[in-house]
Amino acid sequence: MTYLVVDDSKLARLSLIKSLKTHVGDDENIHQASNGLEAVSLMENKKADIVFLDLTMPEMDGYEALPKLLEINNKAKVIVVSADVQTKAKERVISLGAQLHMQKPINADKMQEILEII
Amino acid sequence: MYSLTEDEKDVLQELMNVAYGNATAVVADMLDAFASLSIPNIQVLPTHELLATFESMKAESYFFSTQAFSGEFNGESAFFINDISAQNLAKHLELETADDLDDAILELTNVLTSSLTTKLSQELDTEVSFSLPSITKVPLQDIQEVETFQNYSQVIVIDTDLNFEDQKINGKIFILTKDASIQWLKNKLNTILELLL
Repeated sequence: MTYLVVDDSKLARLSLIKSLKTHVGDDENIHQASNGLEAVSLMENKKADIVFLDLTMPEMDGYEALPKLLEINNKAKVIVVSADVQTKAKERVISLGAQLHMQKPINADKMQEILEII
Repeated sequence: MYSLTEDEKDVLQELMNVAYGNATAVVADMLDAFASLSIPNIQVLPTHELLATFESMKAESYFFSTQAFSGEFNGESAFFINDISAQNLAKHLELETADDLDDAILELTNVLTSSLTTKLSQELDTEVSFSLPSITKVPLQDIQEVETFQNYSQVIVIDTDLNFEDQKINGKIFILTKDASIQWLKNKLNTILELLL
């Protein structure tokens, strides 16, 4: 399984990857991108199966990146991980094709919940 | 003079992002509107430099409301909303008098800054208590006379926008802290970072 973690914050990426490794171990392929543009470029090369995507980022935000990521790999499962917990934000990302919208931060328990759902 | 390293800024920006997301959702529910979120800007500035940044603000006068918070992490949250946005807020909420508008801005400040600071302090594993918010209407050229700024020589400025595009309401939020809190905060941010590395 290949994972892609997209967030402009190093803390958010490290924290999410730590939670992810608790469940999937150290041997999985986990790639990181710090904005939507980098994520799209990485997706073209790595074809990630599961994407953890932040919304508020410089260069290209999560709303713009989400359909582009799915266009490259329509089998990918995209989990939006955001501080924006407004109902309309959740509805919008689901309508754009995200599997889930989860509130930051993602600790090990929340990660387990995500992995069970998807 | 304190400063924040890039890693410390990153951690604080992310904590603030989470806290601001919560606060915005509460206010969006209150106003029945949708806000676009922006990336918080973090700086440590001497107060006179902060005041200089206000010169770039375009409107002639602002409603300026503040709410102090105390605890291990202490300081003041400040919320600016310009005249035009305030009038749009009044229209959106169907308010009829200036007193009603003052009251609505105070409530907005209270909800916004207390949600924001409470969530931020939870993320920092500490507790804060709040004073009642207060409001003044300030012409831009008199902003340096505002008492709040005279209490600080150097501040961590966490600056973000509250932006309800459809309603044309936007404001700026600042969290101001003094030297002792800046050192406390630096220690906390580094502890959080070390736990992840």
